[in-house]
Amino acid sequence: MSHHAVRRLILIGLMLALSALITAINPVFLSSGNLLKLLQEAAQTGIIAVGFTFVMITAGIDMSIGGVVAVTSMVCINFLHYTKVPIPVLVFLSLFVGALTGLVNGYFITKFKLPEFIVTLATRSILSGLALVIAVKDSLGFVQNVYIQNDSYLWFGTSGLFGIYRTTMAFLILGVGAQVFLKHTRTGTNIYATGANPTAARLTGIDTERTTIGVYMFSGVCASLAAVFISSRMMTAMPELGLGSEMDVIASVVIGGTAFSGGVGDVWGTMLGSLFLALIKNGILKTGISPWIQPIAIGGIIVVTVIVDVWQKKLREHLAARAKIKRLSAERGRDAA
Amino acid sequence: MATNDIGADLLLECRSITKSYSGHVVLDAVDFSVRRGEVHALVGENGAGKSTLIKIITGATGRDSGQMVYDGTVVPMEHLRRDAEALGIAVIYQELSLIPGMTVAQNIFLGKEPLRPLTRLIDVRKLNDQARDLIERYQFPLKPGDLIDDISIAQRQLVEILKALSGKASLMIMDEPTSSLTKTEVEMLFKIIALLKSEGISVLYISHRMEEVYSLSDRVTVLRDGKLVKVLDKEEISPEEIIRLMIGHKLEEKAVQHELSPKGGNVVLEVRGLTSVGKFEDLSFDLHEGEVLGIGGLVGSGRTELVRALYGADPFDAGTIRYLGKEWVPSVRKSIEGGIGFIPEERRLQGILATQSITRNIGIPNLDRIAPRGIVSVKEEDRRAARGIELLNVKPPRPEQLVGNLSGGNQQKVVLAKWLVRDLKLIFIDEPTVGIDIGAKEEIYEHIRALSARGVSVLLVSSDLPELTRLSDRVIVLRQGRFFHEFRECVLTGEKILRAASGIREGDDE
Amino acid sequence: MNKKPIATELRLAIVLVPLMAVLTILSPRFLTLDNLTNVVWSVCFIGILSSGAIYPRITGGIDLSLGSTAALSGIVVDLFMNRMGIPWIPSIFLTVVIGSLVGLFNGFIVAKIKIPAFVVTMAAKTYLYGIALVVSQGAMLAILEPKPFILISTGRFLGLPNPIYIMVALVITSQFVLRRTAFGRQVMAVGSNEVAARLSGVDPDRVRLISYTISGGTSAVGGVILASLTQQVFAAAASGIELDVMTALVIGGTSAVGGRGSVVGALIGAIMVAFIINGLNLLNVPNLYQPIAIGTVIILALLLNEGYLVPKRRTLSRA
Repeated sequence: MSHHAVRRLILIGLMLALSALITAINPVFLSSGNLLKLLQEAAQTGIIAVGFTFVMITAGIDMSIGGVVAVTSMVCINFLHYTKVPIPVLVFLSLFVGALTGLVNGYFITKFKLPEFIVTLATRSILSGLALVIAVKDSLGFVQNVYIQNDSYLWFGTSGLFGIYRTTMAFLILGVGAQVFLKHTRTGTNIYATGANPTAARLTGIDTERTTIGVYMFSGVCASLAAVFISSRMMTAMPELGLGSEMDVIASVVIGGTAFSGGVGDVWGTMLGSLFLALIKNGILKTGISPWIQPIAIGGIIVVTVIVDVWQKKLREHLAARAKIKRLSAERGRDAA
Repeated sequence: MATNDIGADLLLECRSITKSYSGHVVLDAVDFSVRRGEVHALVGENGAGKSTLIKIITGATGRDSGQMVYDGTVVPMEHLRRDAEALGIAVIYQELSLIPGMTVAQNIFLGKEPLRPLTRLIDVRKLNDQARDLIERYQFPLKPGDLIDDISIAQRQLVEILKALSGKASLMIMDEPTSSLTKTEVEMLFKIIALLKSEGISVLYISHRMEEVYSLSDRVTVLRDGKLVKVLDKEEISPEEIIRLMIGHKLEEKAVQHELSPKGGNVVLEVRGLTSVGKFEDLSFDLHEGEVLGIGGLVGSGRTELVRALYGADPFDAGTIRYLGKEWVPSVRKSIEGGIGFIPEERRLQGILATQSITRNIGIPNLDRIAPRGIVSVKEEDRRAARGIELLNVKPPRPEQLVGNLSGGNQQKVVLAKWLVRDLKLIFIDEPTVGIDIGAKEEIYEHIRALSARGVSVLLVSSDLPELTRLSDRVIVLRQGRFFHEFRECVLTGEKILRAASGIREGDDE
Repeated sequence: MNKKPIATELRLAIVLVPLMAVLTILSPRFLTLDNLTNVVWSVCFIGILSSGAIYPRITGGIDLSLGSTAALSGIVVDLFMNRMGIPWIPSIFLTVVIGSLVGLFNGFIVAKIKIPAFVVTMAAKTYLYGIALVVSQGAMLAILEPKPFILISTGRFLGLPNPIYIMVALVITSQFVLRRTAFGRQVMAVGSNEVAARLSGVDPDRVRLISYTISGGTSAVGGVILASLTQQVFAAAASGIELDVMTALVIGGTSAVGGRGSVVGALIGAIMVAFIINGLNLLNVPNLYQPIAIGTVIILALLLNEGYLVPKRRTLSRA
């Protein structure tokens, strides 16, 4: 069994143990209502995290996702407030926001070779301002809390079959699709190759710049999609929506086993990761621990996960080196004989 | 010259290929051909033009003039790597171009994965089946589903070969393929080359290892200083002849010939049984005061690893070092404090701080002197920088100049200056003049001689044979990490070093 | 490089003049003492944080935890003084020690375990915020006592607000360390070429460890100053400040690749950031446009640093 599989099993085992612990403290945890909520929570972060996974597999990072969520939700609110655009068109337009942001990010990163982290942090800043600028305001210029009343739009945030939230369903569909795309298409293969060994990828004829721009666009689109679901569930949106969700997204992806160094990871892992994170958050709530622990837990989990991943990689490399030395000396022994 | 064969059995034919980089001619009207189904070796010293010729053939760089015909197709002047691949030219790269995290099968078919007709999704089963077929056909010890990360270097090379074969390559270029393989792995590779040959695939083989060239090749092309020297046919090939052609008859130049006269004097460095597993083994020698000890050997023979270990940059596994008569476990800091300097190979990557000034570059290893209590004496720093610049004639002589903007020769002078402004007792020098113009080269030689005259001991690693013969008082040749031969008190020529490095035992060294 | 950075700083300072002129023409209120004092507060805060944050940045890393460290420090100093009854001077000292330890911990993970700095410090930003919430019980705490502590920031000396002196002292010290000490040379060397620096006797791990420790320490100083100025502490007090600091550093010419940087440059960067924000305010541009301006300025500064936007100034080949 590969170490990836072992890692995943440990993660699942940990989740089961945590669930048992939480249930022991508060049996309400196991109620279908809570579990459905938990899944929805996981899905809201998870949808963004799916796109983020693609970026991280190319060894990049996208800090602008929170800003994309904020602007997208404001775009939706505006259209809902002032126009009667059909909902499918509205959703399409909102996804366009993310795609455009990704295009700009990817352009600066590939064409000008600017550091991904700072570029996307800058676009995040710009977007967060933009969200405030375009927010619906009252006559005094204060941001107005617009309640969404369009039923077709609210449909996204409600539950469907077996009480499962549509957000959860969308997350599942998106996750499965993204996983299949990553693992079973040439473009998906190119994404891994771009992150694992860009020089080799270019030698093989892969257009790494196009691939990079593509993943940032996808990341933006995922964030926009999440914005639609979140605003629909909340039946309103604030211009700050999504800002600060970056850490949750990064935590999900890192827990899922996608490495910052690129070339490693998949969507299954991220889906598990977002579930794990939702479980932790839900657990903190259900067990009555202070909610202030939450950021400590999330920050701590990221650090610990990354350290453990680095250590186990070092260990494997060490073992491989040992095995090589052994093989060499065996060969030498044979030569001598 | 020797290529007056019938054109029909030529797979690749290059006529009077010329290439120059910024006025410097690297290839001068070189004719070159590869027959169908032959193993053709391309040999020459460093800088003879081998890699440039390969780059032109694979489309990695353009040519200035000359014709190239591949498999009956005239190759246009504008010829990209992609075009070369389409023609059937494949390269097995020295630094492997595989994607970690992917399986053997995925790597073999990267970019040309079999797709399902309707969904356009990769047909994983077919991908693995096709890979398995390829692997079985050549009986390689590989599994399609193995991750690249989990297999050995030799196996990875096999994956590269399969990658090329899956693209229907008719010419396979192997650049120093054996440099990181163990003996058994090399034997396996040779079997594979024979197999490729039997399938009608031509192999263009570049190697410094004479016995490989000798035992494998059908023909050998020898380049020297950018010119074609000779094409040897099978029956003409012998390691001695190849080395003779590579070095050339430059005996009238005193440059290639040098009377060795070992110096007595105090032992500065005493190395006994030094071993670093997988790099070098059981090396013992003494280095005397004011002596220049040359270390010869092929790339990968453990020379660089040896000096790095002696300097304290890398650890070693066994053996003892005595420095100035005392037991010595080196670390970089201890070495510097103890009067030892180090000029690493790959100046740009390891030697210079490109974005810093000449002053700062010279200052860094001298911080113990210019900032003894942690605070930099700018006066002392400037004084040392000025002395270094003057001593080595660095151009332009502006201390605030960023080192990255200097020419290669002047960069290397700065690296040397760092140490020359200190009281040195011993310096390790690794490939000091790679990519440096003649003028700067001579100046650096003068400084190495001057150091030795001042009583500083020098351990010099170089692949530049005239350099090694001219500068050294004594030369040790390493081969595959082990001591092979020592030249002392004799008339040394580059040819002798190369023969030793290639594993040819001399009856006696005069 | 001894003279060159001064040239860069001069050039930056020269840009300030037309910026001030434009602001003065557009708004007569700009050059009033009241307004400039306002600008000074933010310059001081950003300047203090930048004087330490520049070290990790030059070594090729980044410290994103400085906002959380500052906020936590404010809460901790209040805890020491007003809940534990420790006199204010030892309280401040202890707080700065704690901030440095936070930085040391970041530095340890970055240098020894070799994990990308932005991951380590971003995670630190999150958990430090959580710790700050726990210590402050999630509340916004007012600091009314002791008076000398309040006077640190609110007092004036020779007509100028005290924090200016603290900031200037830190900037000068930091610039001195960077330009005139062996450690400063080593920081630059590690940022320029870690391998070459190591072979010249520099210990890159040690340099990184100390760099992050300094950054943690100055963040704590910044947090204490902020607490004394605003007389209230809460977990989200300085959130988002890391972007302003990063902007100041980038404008100041600090590069993550190449081991270049200047604290004085960063200070001018901080002044510019403050002018832009203040200018927008004076011109009655709503606050909302601030993040847009900052984001745009970062990207422009990055492009400038990389040699774009200026024709024919690609001095360094990046081979």
